[in-house]
Amino acid sequence: MELFTPDFGLVFWMFVSFAVLFLILWKFAWPAILKTVNSRADLIDKGVEYAQSAKEQLDNARLSAQEVINEARRQQAEMMREADRIKTQMIEDARQSAQAEAQKVMDNAKLQIQQQQKEAQLQFRNQVSDFALQIATKVVKNQLGDQKAQAKLVNAILDDIDTK
Amino acid sequence: MTRIISILLTTLLSTLLTVARANEPATEGESEGIDTKAIVFDHLGDAYGWEVPFNHHKRIPLPIIVKTDDGFHCFSSARVEHGAEWVDGGVTFKIAGENSEYKGKVVAIVDGKEVKPLDISITKNVLALFISVGLVVGLMLWLAGFYRRHGVGKTPRKGLGAVEAVLTFIYDGVIKSTLGKDAPRFAPYLLTVFFFIFGMNLLGLIVIFPGGANLTGNIAVTMVLALCTFLVTNIFGTKHYWKDIFWPDVPIWLKCPLPIMQVIEVFGIFTKPAALTVRLFANMMGGHMIVIVLTLLIFIFAAMSPVFGVASIAVSIPFSIFMLLIDCLVSFIQAYVFTMLSTIFISLAQEHGHHEEVNETIALETK
Repeated sequence: MELFTPDFGLVFWMFVSFAVLFLILWKFAWPAILKTVNSRADLIDKGVEYAQSAKEQLDNARLSAQEVINEARRQQAEMMREADRIKTQMIEDARQSAQAEAQKVMDNAKLQIQQQQKEAQLQFRNQVSDFALQIATKVVKNQLGDQKAQAKLVNAILDDIDTK
Repeated sequence: MTRIISILLTTLLSTLLTVARANEPATEGESEGIDTKAIVFDHLGDAYGWEVPFNHHKRIPLPIIVKTDDGFHCFSSARVEHGAEWVDGGVTFKIAGENSEYKGKVVAIVDGKEVKPLDISITKNVLALFISVGLVVGLMLWLAGFYRRHGVGKTPRKGLGAVEAVLTFIYDGVIKSTLGKDAPRFAPYLLTVFFFIFGMNLLGLIVIFPGGANLTGNIAVTMVLALCTFLVTNIFGTKHYWKDIFWPDVPIWLKCPLPIMQVIEVFGIFTKPAALTVRLFANMMGGHMIVIVLTLLIFIFAAMSPVFGVASIAVSIPFSIFMLLIDCLVSFIQAYVFTMLSTIFISLAQEHGHHEEVNETIALETK
C-alpha cells in the first residue's frame, strides 16, 4: 500500500527541509533563545534568593527595630524614674541646704547678739566703773581736802608696806 | 461566536448537499457508489496538486520535477491533470491510472510502456513541508529577535509568550531533566524536532490550504525524523554505550559462545528508530482518518436515505469537531513524545555507567 512505502521524493525533500531548518535555527535562533532563557532563569533564581534574603533582613530589621524601641522605652522609663528621683532629691537637698542656711543665719545672729550683749555689758561696766571712779574721786577729793588727812593716809599706806 | 456560526453553516451546507443529491434520481447510482476507501486514502496520501475547497476538479498546480535517462524535466502539474499526457523535451509524461502498478504517480511513456522516473516533484506534502519550515523558522526568529531586542529583562507576552512557554516546557521539562549537563549540546536538535513536528501536526489539522496535508501521518516524514535521531544517538554515543552493546555486564554464557545479548542489543539499536517512526505515523494518520470517516458518514447515510443523512449530521459534525479538538491535543502530545523518546535514546548513549536505572525509566516511558 502506498501509505506504508516511503516515497523517495518526499524523503529527499524532508531531508533537505529538515537540514535547512536545523541549520537556520542552529545558527540564528537557538543560541539567542537558549542563552536568554537560561540567563533569565538564573536571573529569576537570583531574584528569588534576593527577595528571600531581603525578607529575612527585613524581618531581622523589624525585630531589631522592635528591640531598639523596647530598649528606648526602657531607657525612657528609667530616665523618668531617675529624673523623678533627682527631682525629689534636689528638693530635699534644697530644703536641707535652706534649713542649714537658716540655721547658720540664726546662729550668726545669736552669736552677734551675744557679742553685742557682751559689748554692751562691757561698755556698761566701763561706764559704771567710770562713774564709780568719778564719784569716788569726788568723794576722795572731798575727804582728803586737807593736808592732814592726806598725810595720815600716806602714813597708813607706808605702814602697810613696812609690815609686809 | 464565530465558531458557532461556522458550525451552523457547515451543517446547513451539508444538509443542502444531501437533499440535492437525494432529489436527483439520475445521480442515484453515483451516490450509492461513494468510494469511501478512495476518498480516505486520497486525503491521507500525497498529490501533485493542492485541492481547493468545494471543487473536486480544480487544484492548485504544483511543479513536477522528474529525472529520466536524458536529464531533468520540470513542468506544472496542471499539464497532466485528469489523465492528460504532456510532452516535455521529447518525453511523454502522464499520471499513471488506476490499473497501473505506479497508480497516481507521474510516469514517462517509453515505447508504449510506463516507466517510473526519479521523482522529486514539489508535491502537496513537499510544499506543506516548506510551509512548516517557514512557519517554524519565522516563529523562532521572531522569538530570537525579541530576545535580542529586549535582552533578559523583558518576558514576551501573548503569542510569543505561548511559544516561549512551550519552549521552556520542553527544554526544562524534557531535555534538561533527562540530559543534565549534556543538554546544551543536544537541545538545538531536539527543540528543532519538537517544533517541526508540532508545526506539521497543527498545519495538518487546518482543512484548507495552507494546511490539510497529512505530513506527520506520512511514513517518509517520520522515517527521516527517526533516522536523524538514530544518527545523532549513534554518532555521539560514548565508549560506554558501545561497550554495553558488544560486551554488556551479563553472565558470560549469555555473550560468549553464542552472542545472544549482542544480537538483542544490536537489534535494539534499530528497533528504537523504528518505534519512533511507526508511533508518530500511526497516531497522526489515525487522527486524520477518523475525522474524514466521520465526515464521510454523512454522505454514506445520505446515499441510503435523506432522513438518515440529516440525522447523521447531528452525530457526525459534533463528533468530528470533538475529534479535531482531541487531535489538537494529540498534535502536542505526539510531538512531545517523539522529542522525549529521542531525548531518552540520546541520553542512553551518553551514559557513563548506571545503565540499569535509565533502562527501567525507558521501559516505563515506552509503556
